[in-house]
Amino acid sequence: MSAPAVEISGLNKWFGPHHVLRDVSLGLGAGEKLVLCGPSGSGKSTLIRCIIGLESFQEGSVTLCGRRLDGTAAALRDVRAMSGMVFQSFNLFPHLTVLENLTIGPVHGRGMARAAAAERARELLARVRLSDQAAKYPGQLSGGQAQRVAIARTLMLAPRVLLFDEPTSALDPEMVHEVLEVMEELAAQGQSMIVVTHEMGFARRVADLVVFMDAGEIVEATDPESFFAAPRSPRAAEFVAQISHGD
Amino acid sequence: MSVTSFATPGTGAAPRPAPEAEGRAAGTLRRLFRSPLSGALTLVIALVLVAVAWPLLRWAVIDAVWYAPDPAACRAEGAGACWAVIVEKHRVILFGAFPYEQQWRGAVIVALWLGWALLTAPRLLPLAVRLGGWVVVFLVSLVLMRGGILGLAPVGTDLWGGLPLTFLIFGGTVAGGLPLAVALALGRRSDWPVISFLCAAFVECVRGFPLLVVLFFAALILPLFLPPELTIDKLLRAEIGMIVFFAAYAAEAVRGGLQALPDGQEEAAKALGMSYWLRLRKVVLPQAIAVALPALFNDIIRAFKNTTFFSILGLFDVLGATKAALQDPDWVRYGLEGYLFVFLLYFLICTGLSLYGRSIERDNLRRLRRAGE
Repeated sequence: MSAPAVEISGLNKWFGPHHVLRDVSLGLGAGEKLVLCGPSGSGKSTLIRCIIGLESFQEGSVTLCGRRLDGTAAALRDVRAMSGMVFQSFNLFPHLTVLENLTIGPVHGRGMARAAAAERARELLARVRLSDQAAKYPGQLSGGQAQRVAIARTLMLAPRVLLFDEPTSALDPEMVHEVLEVMEELAAQGQSMIVVTHEMGFARRVADLVVFMDAGEIVEATDPESFFAAPRSPRAAEFVAQISHGD
Repeated sequence: MSVTSFATPGTGAAPRPAPEAEGRAAGTLRRLFRSPLSGALTLVIALVLVAVAWPLLRWAVIDAVWYAPDPAACRAEGAGACWAVIVEKHRVILFGAFPYEQQWRGAVIVALWLGWALLTAPRLLPLAVRLGGWVVVFLVSLVLMRGGILGLAPVGTDLWGGLPLTFLIFGGTVAGGLPLAVALALGRRSDWPVISFLCAAFVECVRGFPLLVVLFFAALILPLFLPPELTIDKLLRAEIGMIVFFAAYAAEAVRGGLQALPDGQEEAAKALGMSYWLRLRKVVLPQAIAVALPALFNDIIRAFKNTTFFSILGLFDVLGATKAALQDPDWVRYGLEGYLFVFLLYFLICTGLSLYGRSIERDNLRRLRRAGE
């Protein structure tokens, strides 16, 4: 049994006087999928941003594949080398082509040979079905295509853990499916991931564990079937009722 | 109550081309003569324009004296503009007090600058080659001006002048000022309060002084504080003043570009494990500078015109050299023509810079539209 992919214990974070994460503890087993949901402002994004050091925290510990974020630059570098993050707003580099978006990190940051990086990039673009878009600029892509490029970009260095921060929230409805499909393929290949999302269908099909957060704390953590069928806490029940409304 | 809103389904007809738009010339003509009053105004204004333009044309071209070894020809009855003054004085205007028999060196410098500018303007060569070429051009220009090696007679900086001096001051200002501006802009956004305060204070202080004061300080007051064994050339001191002045303004343009960058760009680069310098070099600065470009070119063009301030320090840039050339009592009355020539020279160079800046902007705009917008 290898070390857990992510281990968070007793995490507390304040933005000024606001206590935004309260005694959060959770673990992600290797190869498992965790879906984080909850009303906006509940701290889900802040939580996963803490995992790769995009946010600092005041108390608690965060460990990724055995490497603890101890405030040193070396730990930060190691953790980021082993993980990848997909953002709501894609955050592709608009001044670089799709191919360069994929290769820039590995080539300049990790000394990967240009040719090898380009080859790997084409492989990944084929996997997200965007082989024909390699020479385009991000501005020329649809939202769904851009997000698939962003996913391929995080896969360049074969991350042990993938974090998704509301990856489909900025997409037009007809593009949500193509992105979820890619994510489900990754999940089927055994990729460890934490996904912040409101896509209940995705959670049902993929999640090993659904974690519901509200007001900075974990309220409920259970398997998807029981979460959606019979949420135990009133806050979770209200949330499930609200996001089911449109279905 | 019955619903009064309605919508009519389309007939499913095939798309057809848009109706033909009015041509630009036809449209302009129609608007100029839209009503009798508008037509009359058009005619009156046209008459006034012709009435002004015609004497101007006669003076500047038809009756102009283009070549006259003796200024007497310009004083003849009915003579127009005396362009002969430029033919007569072009060596002083273009090269200032540089030794007459060595002025070919200045001509080579001007040719190098204009040649490389024209060659690189279409941006067909890689950026590294273009920038490397400018470094070479700059260094060769310095050697040609200074002399003292390769059998070139040494020429002191006090004799440098004219267009080569203008180019060198300008090139040095931009080459030294842009990196300093980027450093100041980054420093001002630093997380360390001391650094951000120092950078902000520096920018605000320099912007608070007129250029003239900065130059006087660098050229005349600074030496008083320096130990006597440390003598820095007056031209170099003034150049440092120019660089500092340029950098203070350009830093604010760059800072604007940095602010326009969404946080997500930096975050995505961090999440990809890119180091600070790598993020800066490959993600942050290329985008920030693209955004800052219109403002930067404003500063760059101003830097070119600011080279004229050097004449108050006794260094003769093109304008200073022209002024000196027109001291000649034989030609002193044709100052207008002399200054018109210098005006044209500046206008052409500044317009060239401005067109170059806009073509880069267009290039960037094509690519910089962000995904998802």
